[in-house]
Amino acid sequence: MLFKIAWRNIWRNRTRSLVVISAVAVGLFAGMFIMAFFQGAINQEIESMVETQLSHIQFHNPAFIDDKEVNDTIANGQSIVKRLKQDRDVKAVSGRLITAGMVSSSSTASGVEIHGVNPEDERSVSDISKDVIEGGYFTGLKKNEIVVGEKLADKLSVKLHNKIVLTFQSKTGDLTAGSFRIAGIFRSRNSSFDQVTVFTRFDDLAAILGTTGGMHEIAVVLKEGQKTNAVAAGLKKQYPSLLVQTWTELSPQMALLSGIMDQMMYIIIGIILLALMFGIINTMLMAVLERQREFGMLMAIGMNKPRVFAMIVLESVMLTCAGIPAGILFTSLTVGSLAKHGIDLSSFSKALSQYGFSNIIYPVLKQSMFMPVILMTALTAILSAIYPAIKALRFKPAEAIHKI
Amino acid sequence: MGNIIESHHLSKTYNPDTIPVHAVNNVDLAVEEGEFTALVGPSGSGKTTLLNLIGGLDYPTGGEVKIEGVDITNMSENKLIDFRLKNIGFVFQAYNLIPVLTASENVEFVMLLQKTSKNEREKRAVELLTEVGLKDKLNKRPSELSGGQQQRVAVARALASKPRFILADEPTANLDSVSTENLLEIMAKLNKEDNMTFIFSTHDQRVIDKARRVVTLVDGKIVSDTKK
Repeated sequence: MLFKIAWRNIWRNRTRSLVVISAVAVGLFAGMFIMAFFQGAINQEIESMVETQLSHIQFHNPAFIDDKEVNDTIANGQSIVKRLKQDRDVKAVSGRLITAGMVSSSSTASGVEIHGVNPEDERSVSDISKDVIEGGYFTGLKKNEIVVGEKLADKLSVKLHNKIVLTFQSKTGDLTAGSFRIAGIFRSRNSSFDQVTVFTRFDDLAAILGTTGGMHEIAVVLKEGQKTNAVAAGLKKQYPSLLVQTWTELSPQMALLSGIMDQMMYIIIGIILLALMFGIINTMLMAVLERQREFGMLMAIGMNKPRVFAMIVLESVMLTCAGIPAGILFTSLTVGSLAKHGIDLSSFSKALSQYGFSNIIYPVLKQSMFMPVILMTALTAILSAIYPAIKALRFKPAEAIHKI
Repeated sequence: MGNIIESHHLSKTYNPDTIPVHAVNNVDLAVEEGEFTALVGPSGSGKTTLLNLIGGLDYPTGGEVKIEGVDITNMSENKLIDFRLKNIGFVFQAYNLIPVLTASENVEFVMLLQKTSKNEREKRAVELLTEVGLKDKLNKRPSELSGGQQQRVAVARALASKPRFILADEPTANLDSVSTENLLEIMAKLNKEDNMTFIFSTHDQRVIDKARRVVTLVDGKIVSDTKK
């Protein structure tokens, strides 16, 4: 019957209760929506990094990671690539030559990282070929073609089919240069990446560098991304002389960001609930003070203090928790719809692309966040009830009964 | 018959350190089982304070109250609540029903506090409400009942816990003459047939006329005590 009384008491002042219930619903919606938005943005960022730069697993000569010396190649790279292509967990493999250099046009020069790739293999590993907005991704048969980012092209004031010169250190340590014709211009989600990365054919770069057979990096994309750690562990055993790294090892800051999302969610929801707590305390306090005579009567006829306390806590929990279904439903519907159509942030595209974020964010609502949110809200309700309940317990029945 | 209630040198003084008000002043009172006693006196004479002290709703500043030989003046608050639940029924001037419960739920509530089984609660609530003439109002909430009907529910609630006696503070003060007559008949019937002890404070001459013992208070002191 305590449940019945508590539930009916909530509706004695319908407007006041609806305000609290709405505040809880809107607060939960705001918290969960923010988290869904950031979760979506980070998922997309990770996806983008994996698809355009990192892939799931990379192989390097251990010495290459520190100084990126031209000579620190994976000597038997071609045979490793062949073997990896036969692995049942592997979707695609691409061997790369990587060197730092300078790109010059007639107007200016800029520092870049030059990637020598096999276009056919690279298409399956990286999304850069899909990001080409002018020209093509090594579609011609000519030698010394280059694909550059739109941002770099703008900086160099060059257009499609213009010639640019790459200058870098060869295998022998001499400064060497090659003239390349722009075959394609790409625009990825990350404008910073676009400004410092250029792509040439593997063989063209190898010829100028003077490397034969070796490669600096092998990028591996798996059929199932969730298996990354397990597959990487197997490959590390298989190739002990090479440095085998997962994307989380290659980009620990992104892995960290992904990892702390849950904690961030609890902090944000916690702050929102803390603010809501004051509203709930106020409402419960008003309810208790208005019903002084009733509490006096209840204690007079024999309702003990633990029961009075429990009744007030129950009222608070029911009042607060009534907002949870509405909050979750509203969030699910909103995020569900936006997860399909995305949130268009084109007006902030410049700032977003600098950090590699897409213009359109698809929020992701994790079902696993519901239970902790429900428990946190219930805890807020219990904490909110403590002060009003203590207040009620201090009523003297003889005095309270005669309060108007 | 033995005394069900005894007070010895009972006193209650408000503001003892500033301007003392002796609401109850050295009262000796003994009430036997089955009495139908009215406490009368002008406003501020101490009727309600005396009822509160006898009912264990307030602590005296002097003297003692014994209920069936048990001194309740030194009981802790929690023990007093339990004592009231088991021994005393209350009827208040302003009915004081739980507004969100129906008439039968209000009556059942006290039995719920006593941990009576659901079936027994429901059965007794119907019996009691029938006894006070509200058989057809079992599922009505207080807001759907007249003042007289609400007070009859309050009497049924007071009886629900099978108390040793019922204290009623100005039970007819908010009732019209017909409702007052009905309530008095019910209380008198319960007193006569079930030997239920009633002590009530009142200003109402009709109530005083029905009482079999009239205790008059003035300035916290008993100035007359007459049995009819």
